[in-house]
Amino acid sequence: MTLLEPAPAGELARLRAENSGLRAQMQHRDDELQVATRMLQARAQTMTSVIDAVTEQSIIGTDVDGVIRVWNPGAERMLGLPRADVVRRRSITEFHLPKELDDAGGGLAALVRTAQEQGSDVRDWTYVAADGAELTVSVAVTPRTDDRGVHAGWNFVGTDMTEARATERMKDQFVSLISHELRTPLTSILGYLELVLDDPDLGEESRAHLGTVERNAQRLLRLVGDLLFTAQVDAGRFSLQPADVDLADVVRAAEETVRVTAAATGVEVLVDVPDGGLVVHGDAVRLGQACDNLVSNAVKFTPAGGRVTLALRSAWRTADGAVVDAPQDDAVPVARLAVSDTGIGIPAGEQGQLFARFFRASTARRHAVPGVGLGLAITRAIAAAHDGTLEVASVEGRGTTFTLTLPR
Amino acid sequence: MPTAAPRVLVADDEDDIRALVGLAVRRAGCTVATEVPDGTQALAAARTDPPDLAVLDVSMPGATGLEVCAALRADPVTAGVPVLLLSAGASADDVARGLAAGADAYLAKPFSVAGLVAQVRELTSGGTA
Repeated sequence: MTLLEPAPAGELARLRAENSGLRAQMQHRDDELQVATRMLQARAQTMTSVIDAVTEQSIIGTDVDGVIRVWNPGAERMLGLPRADVVRRRSITEFHLPKELDDAGGGLAALVRTAQEQGSDVRDWTYVAADGAELTVSVAVTPRTDDRGVHAGWNFVGTDMTEARATERMKDQFVSLISHELRTPLTSILGYLELVLDDPDLGEESRAHLGTVERNAQRLLRLVGDLLFTAQVDAGRFSLQPADVDLADVVRAAEETVRVTAAATGVEVLVDVPDGGLVVHGDAVRLGQACDNLVSNAVKFTPAGGRVTLALRSAWRTADGAVVDAPQDDAVPVARLAVSDTGIGIPAGEQGQLFARFFRASTARRHAVPGVGLGLAITRAIAAAHDGTLEVASVEGRGTTFTLTLPR
Repeated sequence: MPTAAPRVLVADDEDDIRALVGLAVRRAGCTVATEVPDGTQALAAARTDPPDLAVLDVSMPGATGLEVCAALRADPVTAGVPVLLLSAGASADDVARGLAAGADAYLAKPFSVAGLVAQVRELTSGGTA
């Protein structure tokens, strides 16, 4: 048996102090841990309460295989199943219209492909609710990562667009119906007018009157076309038929179109285009429409004795959006058409609203210039569809310049 | 022996437009074989007595001009009848749909009478005007 020598009193005191220090440190760590745990619980609670507060959107979280892990009250309401019946039991793909999924390539991959490649994706999908109802839902898909940054699954945030899309379809059908119903009588009016105007025995006065009828029927036809086009832009069904288009030809054609009117109203139209032309990639018909709108507007808003200049130039757009006359590093080549007039101008305070549909400047109304306020909205939509821009600079009483810039 | 004038089937649900098309057909040196206000009658008339040209409105009751056109193409008796479609739809998609249905030509409403006369002449190989 070995008898331990009693520790010297100093050593004992040191050990006791060390022990006490360690206990205090443990207690401190324990306190810290408790605080951290409470904070984490509070955060989780906040997240859950936020997700649970969302009742108008479905928030569905899945693991990497598409098995549902998060199912908020919005999803319960939209798809008609309680959380307990879904979480860990069902896959997100079970709530999609099978044919639509198959057409997109099938399975979870079809749902997440774009989000995987680009970080996020928003598009319409058809959800199928528990009672079999089909819903058009705008779904935002994003990848989800865990606390170590490892891919852990997918988030699907859905907004029910069924009613909104049905309204859009009705609006489309309405516009299409109206367009058809207006074009049909115009076909008769213009067709029979053409037959009457073909008659060589028609008296001069009658010919002039019928010419007025024809001009107004054509105006009505343009208005129908503009309304239909505006509706197509709204519905996102505005498609381009792209090809190489020489803008110099487009500008010359626009000048030809307004030549008679300009001469009749005493407005001089000058065309300044590059000799070799200037080619852009775009839709010839739509670019012609945009150019016609700008040129006819300029002539319309310019009093007798005034001048309209159509200047087409090649230029370069720098990364910060500035347009310069010479090539620069990182600057992309563009074509610029400036349509300038010496007309009545647009008050500075109204220039911001100028591209809004049906907006008419006070100067236009004051001078009783005819129009409904669709031309510029349409022209800007055409510019945007070509990744281009339309800008305005104007001084009331001095004139206006519209600048159309298109990539080339 | 003089050649008989080409015979044209005209189908449109609008009386005024049918009459206008009839005028253009006669100006092109052809005769109006049948005038009908809907697609079903157009198809029946074409099958009974195949014309030298069918001028069809796209938007008609019974069967649309596109459906009539596709049915004419599918029937060996009428497969060779040239078809000219008239439509209030003027977009590139509308024209593409018309040509996909087998139409030989497509005119958007409102059309010019002179343009219609020229098309009818071309599709009936000149007529006898």
